[in-house]
Amino acid sequence: MSVRTATAAAPSALVDEFAEIELVSETTNPWTPSRKASSSTWTAGAGMRGRRHHPLLRIRGSLEIRWRVALSVAGLAVIVVGWFVAASRAGSGASLLPSPMAVAKAIAHLWSNHTFVGDLWASSQRILLGYSISVGLGSIFGIAIGTFVSVESFFEAQIGFLRYIPASALTPVFLLWFGIGESPKVWLIVVGTVFFNVLMIADAARAVPRELLHASYTLGGGRRTTLRRVILRHSLPGIVDAARVNLAAAWLMLVVAEMLAADKGLAYQIVRAQRFRAVDTMFALLLVFGAIGLASDLFLRWLRNATSPWARP
Amino acid sequence: MTPTLSTTATLSTDRRDSHRPDGDRPDAPRPDGAKLVVSSVTKVFRRRGSITEALQFVDLHVDEGEFVCLLGASGCGKSTLLSIIGGLEEATSGSVRVDGDLVVGPGADRGMVFQGYSLFPWATVAQNIDWGLQVARWSKDRRRDRVDELLGIMSLREFANALPRELSGGMRQRVAIARALAPEPDLLLLDEPFGALDAQTRRHLQDFLLGLWQRTGTTILMVTHDVEEAVYLANRIYVMSARPGRITQEVTIPFDRNRGAGIKRDPRFLDLRDRLAELLG
Ligand SMILES: Nc1ncnc2c1ncn2[C@@H]1O[C@H](COP(=O)(O)OP(=O)(O)OP(=O)(O)O)[C@@H](O)[C@H]1O
Ligand SMILES: [Mg+2]
Repeated sequence: MSVRTATAAAPSALVDEFAEIELVSETTNPWTPSRKASSSTWTAGAGMRGRRHHPLLRIRGSLEIRWRVALSVAGLAVIVVGWFVAASRAGSGASLLPSPMAVAKAIAHLWSNHTFVGDLWASSQRILLGYSISVGLGSIFGIAIGTFVSVESFFEAQIGFLRYIPASALTPVFLLWFGIGESPKVWLIVVGTVFFNVLMIADAARAVPRELLHASYTLGGGRRTTLRRVILRHSLPGIVDAARVNLAAAWLMLVVAEMLAADKGLAYQIVRAQRFRAVDTMFALLLVFGAIGLASDLFLRWLRNATSPWARP
Repeated sequence: MTPTLSTTATLSTDRRDSHRPDGDRPDAPRPDGAKLVVSSVTKVFRRRGSITEALQFVDLHVDEGEFVCLLGASGCGKSTLLSIIGGLEEATSGSVRVDGDLVVGPGADRGMVFQGYSLFPWATVAQNIDWGLQVARWSKDRRRDRVDELLGIMSLREFANALPRELSGGMRQRVAIARALAPEPDLLLLDEPFGALDAQTRRHLQDFLLGLWQRTGTTILMVTHDVEEAVYLANRIYVMSARPGRITQEVTIPFDRNRGAGIKRDPRFLDLRDRLAELLG
């Protein structure tokens, strides 16, 4: 009651107070650095302490999903626009750098072409087979190496030596050994990726906290139970991560193999397009590679989060 | 009844000179019939040339149904000793016997609660508690009943399906205790189970543990560096010296099993607490 009468008695003071509140709320617009406010001549308490940065520029900030999507689209748009500009300025070089429109046409043409699906399938099949073997071997050896020091010691020198032999340099050897059928291509993919997978999965197995192993043991878990239900379980997101990161190397090996000896496949078609100087088709195929890569990346991310929601950052 | 002469506790057993040359005493279980007997355990860590002597001729025993606390400054080897008893770490010399059997490795008979958080992060609260039961191949019905019982005891029913990372520190520790208790171990080894908790949660869990011990009569060996906690809960207390860890005192607490928070105002309690605190420095 008394407060009310007091303010009513001094309306001008009330207005001033509001004015100040107004000012303060303006400056508490959180994205505005408050240097002005803190060095102001205003009454104490009207300034701000600390600084809050815009989410876009904050270290480890979290962004709303619409911002993230917008930025991704913007990132892609930069490439497309740059491409348009480059192609339109190419002039006489137009036969070497096709415009995005020409490539879009080439993609449509690829789709209507009945051999394309066959090529796509041939390449995918090689990747699926070769890379499954690689991830399988990588898991077995990686977990064993990360778990048993004896196994680690045995393989350490071997792997350290073998993984520095460029797998692509093995192509001629593999062609000699396995002929020109599917097997050299599949094995090249295996050899080109398995060491990366082993090393990354071994790290994942080593990262299992010792206390979890101890907990398992003191709850009656034997070695086998602990291996399967603690080490493997805890390494699972690491295995999927390894598979996701090293998948790019599998495609690299596939392209090397198909360019040297193949009669179908995406990379084979690029070589063929080169013969006809069909630059737009070559670019179309490159885009197909990119799209497959993006799709598999998204899939493996989803798989990681679906199988190990507890490990989500 | 004179308040000045208030304690019957034996703070007298000074064991400072108890370490002795090797082979002086045979490796037999000393106090006959004890649940756990630790004899002359020594542990030396060798690592990249540096040598750490963590434990030196540690002797202790825990009787069936007894609650024993191990008190000592940080780094004096309490966790190391508990790991050796749990079979997770090998002693450099000496032996650990449970019911007369030599401990050579870990097992479900010695349930452990660790100093850090050791819950399986992918498993829900109920699955964590169920873990040991599944390993021990209990029947489905028995497992469900046991998990439900422990969820009730620990007031965790609401969180049965939560992941560890969704729990507070005190709740996680309750899950860890429930998980260790679930397969009904003969001996419960607790490594500073309430170390990281606030005073209130800590008191709550102490009372809970006391009640549990009174009801079930499980044999408990608990590491702590909280003197009051030790006096409140234990039948006996072993005090360890700074590194290399040795048992320097053995204190028998003059309260029986059926104690309550009331003893915290007992002059003998206060006296013991103060003298132990002084010992630890
Ligand atoms: N694996 C190890 N390798 C080398 N030294 C170790 C190892 N584990 C423990 N130590 C050493 O042994 C000593 C005792 O460690 P321990 O963890 O048992 O102490 P603690 O009494 O449990 O301490 P706190 O109360 O802080 O938990 C320490 O000096 C530590 O550095
Ligand atoms: Mg410790």
